Amino acid sequence: MSLHFSGSRALILGGTCELALTTAHYMIESDLFPLLTYRDDKGLSGITEALRSFQGRYETCHLNFGDRDSLDSVFTQIGDDLNFLIDFAHGNYESLIAGSDEETVYRYFMENISFRAEILKRVGRAMLKKRKGRLVYISSAAAERPNPGQGFYAAAKLASEALYRNMGLELGERGVTTVILRPGYIEAGRGRDYLQRQDQKILEMTPIKRALTGEEIAQTILFLLSDSAAGINATAISMDGGLTAGK
Amino acid sequence: MDVFTELKKIIEDLLDLENREITPETLLIQDLGAESIDLLELAVTINSRFKVVVKDDEIFLTRFRLYLTEAKKKGEDAVHYLAAKYPSLGEDRIAEIMTHIKEGPQLKIKDLISYVAYRSREV
Repeated sequence: MSLHFSGSRALILGGTCELALTTAHYMIESDLFPLLTYRDDKGLSGITEALRSFQGRYETCHLNFGDRDSLDSVFTQIGDDLNFLIDFAHGNYESLIAGSDEETVYRYFMENISFRAEILKRVGRAMLKKRKGRLVYISSAAAERPNPGQGFYAAAKLASEALYRNMGLELGERGVTTVILRPGYIEAGRGRDYLQRQDQKILEMTPIKRALTGEEIAQTILFLLSDSAAGINATAISMDGGLTAGK
Repeated sequence: MDVFTELKKIIEDLLDLENREITPETLLIQDLGAESIDLLELAVTINSRFKVVVKDDEIFLTRFRLYLTEAKKKGEDAVHYLAAKYPSLGEDRIAEIMTHIKEGPQLKIKDLISYVAYRSREV
């Protein structure tokens, strides 16, 4: 069985994280053409370095969440030629709700929810022109099982999931479908750092007794982008080794 | 191709209509059964085909009743108030819409033609 894809041009939000780069790698090998967003020069260098053997087979674009001008330039670069969106982007704000800073909260929700809605509006309209598109949102198992201090993170993740779900509900009949992936503990990037700081107890809680690898998540994303997964629409899938299945 | 002919073709394709009589006086929602998803797709197609900026609320008169209520609350002349919100329509058309508004959504093909013409002049 091989995967088939309806189109090739894919916008990857949050393109500098390790998971995005692993996914981009697999995408290029499947003849897809990713456009990865980055926030700063450090991120851009990271992309260039990770994809150095794929020159000419991907593009990068600068995007600052909350900055409409940078969003305008992303869409000038894309034109209206867009088949896929994969969204790895997320900001962090850890604070107990009763101890939070109001200005930070307002800005955090603007950048992570309102601005995301603006991106989805533009992506949706571009894909409607072709009556075809696929959107994958990378959420987290932590969205439904947050720790103290992760209230704002969870709120932003769940609100974003709702936006993606509704995009699939609203545009599904016009060929634009969406899916949310909720990974658990991952041996990649920030996840790897976190796991190294914890003891084995974390992984003991996972029925499969291990963290997921970046490769298997990226491969799952490729499957979700493919024509085989088009029937999976407007829904969230957990990929956490069973972590959230039991008590 | 003139704007009406092109719009007619777009709408026929979009709403999957065949051999329907469509004139500038045709009501999109009441006569042709257009729903929100159809209007959304129409907006992006008009943007793409005619190369004009399309603001959905403005082209489809979504807030017409809301503005009417606002004008009454502020004690302002409704026709003038609405003409400022919908610069592509003109006061005669605004008055016509107000006369028939109780019958249902008044969006007509000729309103889309006016919008395209107005936005094209801005370019």
